[in-house]
Amino acid sequence: MHPVTWALLSPFVGVTLLFVIPQSRVDWVRRISAIFAFIPFVIALYLISHYDRTIAGYQWVHKIPWISSLGVSYQVGVDGISVVLLLLHSICGLAGVLISYRITERVKEYYIFYLMLIGGVTGVFVSLDLFFFYMFYEMAVIPMFPLIGIWGSGEKYYATMKLTLYLTAGAVLALVGLMMVYMISGIWTFDLIFLERYLAQNPIPGHIQIFLFPFLLIGFGVIAPMWPFHSWSPIGHASAPAAVSMLHAGVLMKLGSYAILRVAFQILPQGAYTWMPWVAVLCTMNILYGGFVAMAQKDIKYTIGYSSSSHMGYVLLGLACLNPVALNGAVFLMFAHGIMTALAFASVGHIYDQTHTRITSDWGGLSKRIPFIATMFVLAALASSGLPGFGNFVGELLIFFGSWDVYRWPALAAIFGIITTAFYMLRAVRTGFFGPLNPKWEHLEDANTLFEKAPYLLLVGALVAVGCWPRLLTEIVSVSTGNILSHLSPLKTLAGL
Amino acid sequence: MDTLLYLLPEVWVSLLALFVLFLDLSWEKERHPQIGLMAAMGMIPVLPILFMQRQLGTVDLLYGMYRIDQVALIFKGIFIFAAIFVILMTREQSRTMERGHGEFYLLILAATLGMMFAASAADFLMLFVSLELITVSFYVMTSYLKTNLRSLEAGVKYLILGSISSACLLYGIAFVYGTTGSVNFSEIRHFLKGTPYSASCLFGLFLILGGILFKATAVPFQLWAPDVYEGAPTPVTAFLSVGSKSAGFLVALRVFHELFMPASSDWVPLMVWLSGLTILYGNLGAISQKNIKRLFGYSSIGHAGYLLMGLATPSSLGTTAVIFYLTGYLFTNMAAFLVIITFSSHTNSDEIKDYAGLARRSPFLAMVMFVSLLSLAGVPPMAGFIGKFMLLLSALSEGFLVLAVIGAAAVVISLYYYLMIVRTIYADTPSDASPIPVSWPAKIAMITCLAGIFVIGVWQEPFLNASFAAVKKLF
Repeated sequence: MHPVTWALLSPFVGVTLLFVIPQSRVDWVRRISAIFAFIPFVIALYLISHYDRTIAGYQWVHKIPWISSLGVSYQVGVDGISVVLLLLHSICGLAGVLISYRITERVKEYYIFYLMLIGGVTGVFVSLDLFFFYMFYEMAVIPMFPLIGIWGSGEKYYATMKLTLYLTAGAVLALVGLMMVYMISGIWTFDLIFLERYLAQNPIPGHIQIFLFPFLLIGFGVIAPMWPFHSWSPIGHASAPAAVSMLHAGVLMKLGSYAILRVAFQILPQGAYTWMPWVAVLCTMNILYGGFVAMAQKDIKYTIGYSSSSHMGYVLLGLACLNPVALNGAVFLMFAHGIMTALAFASVGHIYDQTHTRITSDWGGLSKRIPFIATMFVLAALASSGLPGFGNFVGELLIFFGSWDVYRWPALAAIFGIITTAFYMLRAVRTGFFGPLNPKWEHLEDANTLFEKAPYLLLVGALVAVGCWPRLLTEIVSVSTGNILSHLSPLKTLAGL
Repeated sequence: MDTLLYLLPEVWVSLLALFVLFLDLSWEKERHPQIGLMAAMGMIPVLPILFMQRQLGTVDLLYGMYRIDQVALIFKGIFIFAAIFVILMTREQSRTMERGHGEFYLLILAATLGMMFAASAADFLMLFVSLELITVSFYVMTSYLKTNLRSLEAGVKYLILGSISSACLLYGIAFVYGTTGSVNFSEIRHFLKGTPYSASCLFGLFLILGGILFKATAVPFQLWAPDVYEGAPTPVTAFLSVGSKSAGFLVALRVFHELFMPASSDWVPLMVWLSGLTILYGNLGAISQKNIKRLFGYSSIGHAGYLLMGLATPSSLGTTAVIFYLTGYLFTNMAAFLVIITFSSHTNSDEIKDYAGLARRSPFLAMVMFVSLLSLAGVPPMAGFIGKFMLLLSALSEGFLVLAVIGAAAVVISLYYYLMIVRTIYADTPSDASPIPVSWPAKIAMITCLAGIFVIGVWQEPFLNASFAAVKKLF
């Protein structure tokens, strides 16, 4: 029994099945996609409920030697951080598949690419071998190209090309960095667990770590998205179809922070100590710049897009602090923000499909016509603004506490960022959903059946559950972040910090 | 008798060539397209023979002029595969050729034979003769569409530049002979190990390099490639880009990695520069292309640059990476050219804009093109990814960080122009929405290519181990 492998294989099995189903059997295409997105969700729930909180390190590790001459092995497993992100991904993926029932054009191709995207992202979260880590990372990027290019809207060709090239550029830069680590460590293995253990005993010389760290930081930072490499992200969100935006903003952007945490911190700890203060500066730019630009947007998808890049600045700030409280907060916020954005994009997608406009001032009073969707968007807006009771509040609070002593000014800027979020989110709620109903939208359909409501309820449920009962996640996360930091702490004295 | 047994693959292909000639003369015109199928089927038995020969180990034949080792066998396998695909392509395109189908197959077989000889040549004279056999066949094939001006232009260009490069190669061989006193590889190697090599020997080496770079379409001898690729009949373009290029790199491996390893400190820096320049030239040039064959001409220059990266790494890792990359490149490029042929034989067009909406006209062709373009760009889990991975790894193992970064950046550039084609195929609306039929031999060939791309890309170990094992014997 290797639950992690099954969770990873499930979307790919789905893709294989979809290939043999004729194009005309749309109902079966949808059903199969839903089933193979549901399986990882069940497995993720199983993993998170059976995760042994008393021991740090990777659990359910499954290893198959792959290319022994190069030291590559298929190795998957989860620790407290990846199990949480796996749950996030499976929730968003499942909700995305259900939301995509609205897609009517070229359904089979759509689901093939969508399941490939789900599989690629799952692979990144569970891979414990750098070769496979990179492989899945790139496999997660490529399906985005047709997904946005064919089913997207607006400037979709420009957006999808920009997104693919930015992310690939980041990926290959990180690849060069990883290969250098492979060569310099001199043990010819991509096995992450082994590398971590080996490098803890025989660390790479400090000046080389400092030289190599930017390769990984910028490479993974592109997808994080770290300012000034963020510009692919808002336009990418805006042009993608709803379900792709959900996965893109909800999960894909977390790959960057996750990769920095998992790979860069663990194998280049001293590089992290040297460079993370710079990240604290850059992420301040993320928060403020993203927040201000979001305030200026009229198109709601752009607003949420810039807002995402602003909020990912909080996550990066949490990483930069290198202390347990902030790091827990960062992982927590990754989860909460992922669910929140997915919820926002899902409800915006529902409206856009019928109104074909995303300018909130064109909407007007939608809460009277589509109360359910309006409620969902308002909940997302409140969560995004950091209202207690939602997961985002917990994550942001932890990051503020953690960063206060380390980076006082970035922390202040981050707190100010909350105000900008409240400003643009509440403004969108007011102009779009309240006030007199625009007569053009008399015909709008709400999510009427329970089946249509299910993905939204799933997302809201998750968001409120972790907001009201944060221990659900923090207990699991803190063991693993503590473990990562314990590798880092001896260096703190060495580096004179 | 033993010698004949060892030479069975070569003998087989020669007999097949004669048989094709016989069929061409005796069959009436209507049945000529059938000859292609016969030739393709006739090549298939060579593959298991080659597979069995790998147990022989290294065997020297014909007084040391001819050597069968594992590297030679792997390359012969590549050439046979390439030839089979090219024959099937020719069959698809035979409608556009007015005459002489049989002769064309004969030329393909002759070129293949030349490549097989080159793979086993252990002597500079043998090598030169086999390279000439390849080039002369290609001279005729590139200009085969007699009424097409572009084809004639391509033929003339290839002829002039090809003869200069042959002369260059021969001149280089003369210098090496003059300083080492032998044309035999093992004797030269023996000589180089014992004696410090002289400047004139190095001069000869660089002249030989010139000849090789022409075949490999690498800077500074790359200018012919886009024109010839565009003008030549498409099967010939495919054969040039896979067969002829592989032969070029095979010779490069033999000469540089096997023979002149002791002089590596002299040629490696040059190779690093050439690699970086070739990668940039090919990939930047491809961006603005409107004709798909021309684009593949530039992209094939880019791939030659990547292969030079492995050549610049004088270690078993570099040699393995080159062999592995070429294996993946064979299936990937052949898949793409099969699509191009099928498409152009139906629409008479090679313009990229005419590929608009191919996904609706033929989902199968679109899928094959999509996969092969991604593999060419080096996206996992396709064969192209693992090839590029190995090459980057080998460059970094020698500390060529800048070269590796150029190679990595070029992945992004290449992704741009490949994805532009993908966009045209998948997102644009077709001006003519009629479905495009795919004949069954082409379909089988494409599925074989796809299988090759994915098997090599996912289950790399057996192929890597085979290349590593073959290379170990070289050093």
